[in-house]
Amino acid sequence: MLALHELQARFADSLLATEDPALLDLVDGDGLDARARLAVYRHHLLTTLTAALEAAYPVVCRLVDRRFFAYAADAFIRRHPPAGPCLGEYGAIFPDFLASFPACEGLPYLPDVARLEWAVHMAAQQSTAAPLDQARLQRVDPSDMAGLSFVPDPSLALLASPWPVDKIWTAHQEGKALPGLDGGGVCLQIHAAGEDVTIRVLEPATYAFRDALARGLTLGEAAGLALESHPSFDLTGAIQQMLEDCVFNDFTLITGEGA
Amino acid sequence: MSGNRGLPSRAGIGLRAQHVGELLATRPAVPWLEVHPENYMSGGAALASLEAVRREYPVSLHGVGLSLGTAGEIDARHLIRVKSLVDHIEPCLVSEHLSWSTAGGVYLNHLLPLPYTEETLAVVAGHIHEVQDALGRRILIENPSSYLRFRHSSMAEPHFLAELARRTGCGLLCDVNNIYVSARNLGLDAASYLDALPAHGIGEIHLAGHAENDADGRVILIDDHGSPVAAPVWRLYERALERFGPVPTLIEWDTDIPELAVLLAEAGIADRMLREDDRACAA
Repeated sequence: MLALHELQARFADSLLATEDPALLDLVDGDGLDARARLAVYRHHLLTTLTAALEAAYPVVCRLVDRRFFAYAADAFIRRHPPAGPCLGEYGAIFPDFLASFPACEGLPYLPDVARLEWAVHMAAQQSTAAPLDQARLQRVDPSDMAGLSFVPDPSLALLASPWPVDKIWTAHQEGKALPGLDGGGVCLQIHAAGEDVTIRVLEPATYAFRDALARGLTLGEAAGLALESHPSFDLTGAIQQMLEDCVFNDFTLITGEGA
Repeated sequence: MSGNRGLPSRAGIGLRAQHVGELLATRPAVPWLEVHPENYMSGGAALASLEAVRREYPVSLHGVGLSLGTAGEIDARHLIRVKSLVDHIEPCLVSEHLSWSTAGGVYLNHLLPLPYTEETLAVVAGHIHEVQDALGRRILIENPSSYLRFRHSSMAEPHFLAELARRTGCGLLCDVNNIYVSARNLGLDAASYLDALPAHGIGEIHLAGHAENDADGRVILIDDHGSPVAAPVWRLYERALERFGPVPTLIEWDTDIPELAVLLAEAGIADRMLREDDRACAA
């Protein structure tokens, strides 16, 4: 007889990795092999988690076909099982897994398509946050502006890829053929607006600016980064556009004395 | 302490994502609805739809993620999320399962079987106490569908459930299909199982379809919630109503989910049986 925690650890191993003889000994087979009884639980575990991954990554699933997807999902689930019961939140590192999965080597754009899908999947699950208080922003002393740090909307994701992943994603939504892959890379902003998730192509300078802000850099630092790589960057226009897009909901002032 | 805050003794349906839009648009006369809280914890459009549903219908929250049978600590973060949804939605009932899903920080997405021992009884009772204290209300515990049992179990499942109810004051959710599935898979007598449950503690009944699979030449029933309720399960339900009286009853359907109308028709069958039972009790 095993203590309950020991039984559960061995049960988990038996489902995800190798069957534990001590656990099998505890099972009353009643005319059926203990392995066959355990297999019922394993089958349910793998098929329901595969379905959860398929719901989050439908385009990846169609790109590789369902049988290959199930094969990759099986390997992923065994190596990275969920940490919690909300399955809508399961699979965040599936794109990284695909990037290192040898069988996917021939599809170098696949991990970035998966990253786009995850951003869309998560954005769809976010509640809409209150928009940024523009009147409060206008009251900030101009000399303090460079020290402002902005809080991104919970649904915001930014993705830069060397592949036209937005066109691949869109083609699959509309059931069209895969676009050519030589169209070059793209800078994307994924964001929930009301009940819809929008995917927008950003200018590289705008992307660099918003990405720096989303990573927590101050307005001054973000503007500096954008200007460094894109000398024609228009800061005033970029701030105005950012406010219109409602992708940041709040701000704090980071200064020597205020911090 | 009653866990039921306004759920009628009628037959409702488990509400799944693909039916929410139609339900809100057509407002069918279904007496009540049940959802899994885990599908609404991230917020967003899903939560907004549940709020809209709650404004129109009595709602029960049927958890699958608390893993009450896990040795050691309960997932405190998940319990906080359950509590926050319960406080927000104010459901008529809250229920969970006699099972475990989490070990060593890994969530195994299945209602896994427990050995019915004194040790397990102490673990599950402790966790039910913790959940009821956190939520400030009584919860119901559902009997699982089983594909195996452990040799070292010292109690039969219905006795284990009765003892849990006695120790914690929790109510019981009697899943009639699960009783039938477990009985067939483990060589038990379904009617005797039903008769061994404490009638006064039953706060809800579940009904669903199951599949028949072949495992090494032997039939194993799979609780897949993917078809109409089977005839022997309806008969067992009749017996349950005779024993428990009219109890809120739910039709669950989770794979090969049909049109909303099919689910409502299935609930209609149970609803007629409930009302006949109600009249029989009154007579």
